[in-house]
Amino acid sequence: MPGPLTGAGNTPAAPPAAPPPVAPPLSSGAEAKPHPSEARALLLTALVLLAGVALGAAGFFVERGMSTWRPEVTRTANGWRVVQAHRPPLGGLALGGDDLVWGCGPSIVLMDLTSGRLKLLGPGPASRTTWDPAASQRYVVWFEAAGTSAGEASAWVYDSATRRRRQLATLGDVLSLPSASGSRAAWCTTTRGGGPGIVAVDIPSGEKISVAPEYGVPVIDGDLVTWPTRTGPTGMPAAWALVDLAQDRRWAMVPAATLGNAHFLGYDLSGRTLVWGETDPASGRGRVVAQNVDDGAGSVVAEVTGGASLTSAPSIDGDLVVWAEALAAANGSRVMGRRLGGGPSFIVRDVDGRVLSTAAGGDTVAWLAQHGQTTFIETAKAPR
Amino acid sequence: MRVLLWLLVELWVLNAADLLLTRYSLSLGFATESNGVMDYFFKSGTVQAVAFKLGIVTVGTLLLWRVRRYRTALFAAALLTGVFAAVVAYQALWVLSF
Repeated sequence: MPGPLTGAGNTPAAPPAAPPPVAPPLSSGAEAKPHPSEARALLLTALVLLAGVALGAAGFFVERGMSTWRPEVTRTANGWRVVQAHRPPLGGLALGGDDLVWGCGPSIVLMDLTSGRLKLLGPGPASRTTWDPAASQRYVVWFEAAGTSAGEASAWVYDSATRRRRQLATLGDVLSLPSASGSRAAWCTTTRGGGPGIVAVDIPSGEKISVAPEYGVPVIDGDLVTWPTRTGPTGMPAAWALVDLAQDRRWAMVPAATLGNAHFLGYDLSGRTLVWGETDPASGRGRVVAQNVDDGAGSVVAEVTGGASLTSAPSIDGDLVVWAEALAAANGSRVMGRRLGGGPSFIVRDVDGRVLSTAAGGDTVAWLAQHGQTTFIETAKAPR
Repeated sequence: MRVLLWLLVELWVLNAADLLLTRYSLSLGFATESNGVMDYFFKSGTVQAVAFKLGIVTVGTLLLWRVRRYRTALFAAALLTGVFAAVVAYQALWVLSF
């Protein structure tokens, strides 16, 4: 039987209370010092925090090291050298403002030409396929699609002023690569009726303008959109279609100064000047031609003969035209330039490899080249 | 007890940092919210996302504090804080590298 909880009778008397301990007077140093248990608590929580931070940082750097889009970037005497060896080759070179953009497998990569910093622009998590990008001073435009086919793609834009990326438009079938200039982009896609159509898009608002209900590979510069029409078996167009978006006017222009059996290499537009490259395999001649879109006056910018050959379409920005020539000696190429304002053509750089494409933007020249399994992009400043 | 208190404070601050970094990354257009619940709230609006994320973690930390006499509460708080620290560090490095 349990006893009572309290009982006055048989409870032994409590010993006399001991005097309370007297704490020593606190010094000013003792006041600032945290309690040992407090310090231990802080230390333990800091350790947990550090362990987490270390884990997160390790994950970030491991993921970064495993990425296949990140090339080796080095600064050269007057530009940059971007090398990609034994990985998805570099392609789709574009220059815009202070940015150099290219494709690498499905990745769209941007490099800031001032700092050399790289930025992966695409594809987004829902996409697996991309097409070569286009760049203007401020915007980079490219296409992405969930599958590997060209149907049901979407156009994306990166704004270098705000550092933001967003979807610009949805497309039907991708019938051309995008072209970008200022705050506009243009491309060819299937329209609602199912037929091809060339459209221009105002990038800030996303508003679409129907340029022409036909197939074409357009290039836009300012208000002007152009594309080759009635191309023959060699790819050489019989005419250029031109549309001035500001004046809502369309006209055609016959190419000037063409070679006898011209094979078309590609074209570019800047201001009111159209440039293209053509070769005649029979005679071994190559030619870069510039033509004014208003009066049709054409001029030969460069004639490539004597064993050398024109290897890429020319690129123009302002009065600077650049192109690439393969030298008669094996494995050698050179990037050439000429200012339409006057003066002879000049060598921008001798390249150890085959130049696949060139781009001009301001005074900057960029080229994509291949040497064996290695693809590389180099930039340089064109002399004034 | 002190350790748990500090861990819960850290957890709450890291949660707020995670929210800010996620919102910023989403606004850049490069990131997507992989947590379906948070994705729903971010799509509903920033205020809803902030209210839900801060609210749920506040409730969670209060519950952990309430059961503080159990050792499991301490382990749970340490684990959550470590995971949040890892997530925030990853996101911060991603934003800085951008």
